[in-house]
Amino acid sequence: MRALWERGKSWIFPVSAVCLVLGALLGLQVHTQQQRGTTEVSRRSSALVGMLTNSQAQLELQAKEIERLRALVGKLEHKAMSEKGVTQRIYQELQNSRMAAGLLPVRGPGVELELKDSTMRKGESDLGAQDIYVIHDYDLIRVANELWAAGAEAVTLNGQRLVTGTAIRCSGPLIQVKNTTIPSPFIFHVIGNRENLMSALNMRGGALDELRWAKFQVRLTPQDSLVLPAIPIAPKYTYARPVLEETP
Amino acid sequence: MTLLPLIALLAGFLLVYYHFAVPPGWADYVAIAILAGLDALIGAVRARLEGQFDEAVFISGFFVNMGLAILLAYLGDKLGVDLYLAVVVALGIRIFTNLGRIRGLFVHARLKAHRDRQTTPSH
Repeated sequence: MRALWERGKSWIFPVSAVCLVLGALLGLQVHTQQQRGTTEVSRRSSALVGMLTNSQAQLELQAKEIERLRALVGKLEHKAMSEKGVTQRIYQELQNSRMAAGLLPVRGPGVELELKDSTMRKGESDLGAQDIYVIHDYDLIRVANELWAAGAEAVTLNGQRLVTGTAIRCSGPLIQVKNTTIPSPFIFHVIGNRENLMSALNMRGGALDELRWAKFQVRLTPQDSLVLPAIPIAPKYTYARPVLEETP
Repeated sequence: MTLLPLIALLAGFLLVYYHFAVPPGWADYVAIAILAGLDALIGAVRARLEGQFDEAVFISGFFVNMGLAILLAYLGDKLGVDLYLAVVVALGIRIFTNLGRIRGLFVHARLKAHRDRQTTPSH
């Protein structure tokens, strides 16, 4: 066996030279991989952040496009309206339905309601965990419900119109209204009868009463004129179909 | 003297390890190059054991195979096909085949020596 291996020494120098190169490459690779290992996570998250900002910018652009087209439709309809009486009636009805669906920006008097997390911290009272002192989705749902009950005609929460089908839910430390994530503080803008709204919200035992009791920062101010935006995307109906009155 | 390749390997590693690194995008190519080099080296050991070792074939094989492997991987990147994997699989199979041969040669040599010892009459 030894004879097999040791026959002549001419192989040793080329193999050594190649080994030197191979060793160098190995060193290079190991070093590179070590560096890569530490930066892999940050590289990935920065790519994700890039994608996110990209799609957000796109979304904004598309929202603007929708707004522009909507204005155009409005203008054309206005033009059509001035032509005939029947068209005018149809137009009026269309506007009313649109307003109800939140497809039109609306203006009017109302109230502003700002809600912030409690000033109390865990341990200051024996109410329980820290969880108690932050505003949750269900707090906002309850307030929204009370607003509708008090005769609100249009409501926004942090700039998002609340209409049929607007869900308010919890998404980690933030809250989602429909598909938009909003942070604290939560500000409701409500159009409606100011006196009714104020007194209904301040009702003893109501939602605000409970929030104030747990030292949430509640600020309720009447407003002379509020302008509430429209919802960005009109709802689509896949299953629901209108039931038309049957003619006798 | 027989240890010279090992020493060279270690020296190359230490020389480069502390001072150089390539951009992360190149890491895959370096890996391919290492695999090709390893294949050439193991092929050389086998050729040596079979008594067919040729310096020119070995050196040229080492560098040309390395270049070709990198080229193939690069081409795969450009075409959007994972030719990289084809290179890894092909070289991996070759390395294992050659290692198998080397093992076989050693075992045979041992068995033969053992038999020779038994069959030779003792004095």
